[in-house]
Amino acid sequence: MLLLDYQNVLIQSVLTERFSGAPPASIDQTVSDFDGVTFHISTPETKTQILLSIQIRCFQDLVQYGAEEVLQREYGQYVAPVEPGFDFSVMVDLENIPETKEERDALALKFALLKRNAMAAPFEQAYQEHYQLREEASKFTSEEAPQGVQEGGQVKAIHYREEEAIYLKASHDRVTVIFSTVFREETDRVFGKVFIQEFVDARRRAIQNAPQVLFRNDPPLELQDVPGVRNTGTGEIGYVTFVLFPRHLTPQRMADVISHIQTFRDYFHYHIKASKAYIHSRMRKRTADFLQVLRRARPENEEKERKTASGRTFKVQGN
Amino acid sequence: MSQSLRPYLQCVRSSLTAALTLSNFASQTAERHNVPEIEAQSSPEVLLTPLTIARNENERVLIEPSINSVRISIKIKQADEIEHILVHKFTRFLTQRAESFFILRRKPIKGYDITFLITNFHTEEMLKHKLVDFIIQFMEEVDKEISEMKLFFD
Repeated sequence: MLLLDYQNVLIQSVLTERFSGAPPASIDQTVSDFDGVTFHISTPETKTQILLSIQIRCFQDLVQYGAEEVLQREYGQYVAPVEPGFDFSVMVDLENIPETKEERDALALKFALLKRNAMAAPFEQAYQEHYQLREEASKFTSEEAPQGVQEGGQVKAIHYREEEAIYLKASHDRVTVIFSTVFREETDRVFGKVFIQEFVDARRRAIQNAPQVLFRNDPPLELQDVPGVRNTGTGEIGYVTFVLFPRHLTPQRMADVISHIQTFRDYFHYHIKASKAYIHSRMRKRTADFLQVLRRARPENEEKERKTASGRTFKVQGN
Repeated sequence: MSQSLRPYLQCVRSSLTAALTLSNFASQTAERHNVPEIEAQSSPEVLLTPLTIARNENERVLIEPSINSVRISIKIKQADEIEHILVHKFTRFLTQRAESFFILRRKPIKGYDITFLITNFHTEEMLKHKLVDFIIQFMEEVDKEISEMKLFFD
């Protein structure tokens, strides 16, 4: 098992190195991250001013769900005018960074978490919506609650990849997170199923607190009226549903839950790929073993005729 | 080795040994051709009766002897979707390397997972009992490998 980090390691290392007091140098690097996210880290004007820009496919979706406010809150004084061709930029001046090493490391980490923070906006909004709905729902008994409170809020869709999306739906007693994920081939689908089964079992077995996980190949009922949800009927698209219950929805746990759930897709696909690679290396080894066995079937080379130095040969008597 | 596997493999072993009595035989239909008769199927009088050895409905071996060649097709046990994929991947991996396996047929017979084709040239070059050993060991290990890979998944 491997848990992926939430931050972008390359950005973190570049910035940590810059912040460590090394002589300023010009940087111009393009960094890619999961889900087709591109970062550009550069020093456009002077060597001390580092500009970090991010480009996310679904930035429009994110802005709609309050990404601007979240980023403003997180980066505050560092927010810079957006670099052309990108969606959001932050700028840090090396002459104007915190004194201690810990604070500098924390700052580098904060910048490396840019993608996570941008993607967190809709989740935070869903949390807020949940708190509101819970407040409202507490005024009614379950039978007489008006339709709106029972049903929960609007479904938020984040189309973070070309064919895949995250859907969020808040309601008064839970927040539902649905991932749609595309399996390129049959093998992936079956392997994926095994993994999801493991998630489902984990809840049953030991970890009672885990969120409920559901997996299906047709769009869940929550997504019935959402535009852009296709039912191909081929099982190519899988829908993974996480149901977050109030115990996951406390404000203290919000940050952790958001980080974990964001990396789910990468984690999931990473493990499918890793298993395939492992199987492949096993097959390779086994095939080599079989070849070895088959080679044994060939008779040993018969001994060549041996000659003495003078050119005479040995002959077996009686031949 | 489980109770039913031993007699199954023993049966395959003796049937194979009996079937592997091959001699050089030039084609009767095309001049100066020498082809595996079991593949050509052009002269019915040199083909022998095919033989199926089944352990259960999912595991069986088909032996098709002829005068100068024997075809051995194996159906590997596939209990569920994962095993099906693993078997498919593994046999595909092997058949792609048919060149170095000499006796492996590039395409399995319909209804089976993997097919070997042994001709008289193979038995002339290689030791017959070792070839039989190879097939038997292959059958043993393939099952083992598939279940190990599956265990890794769970």
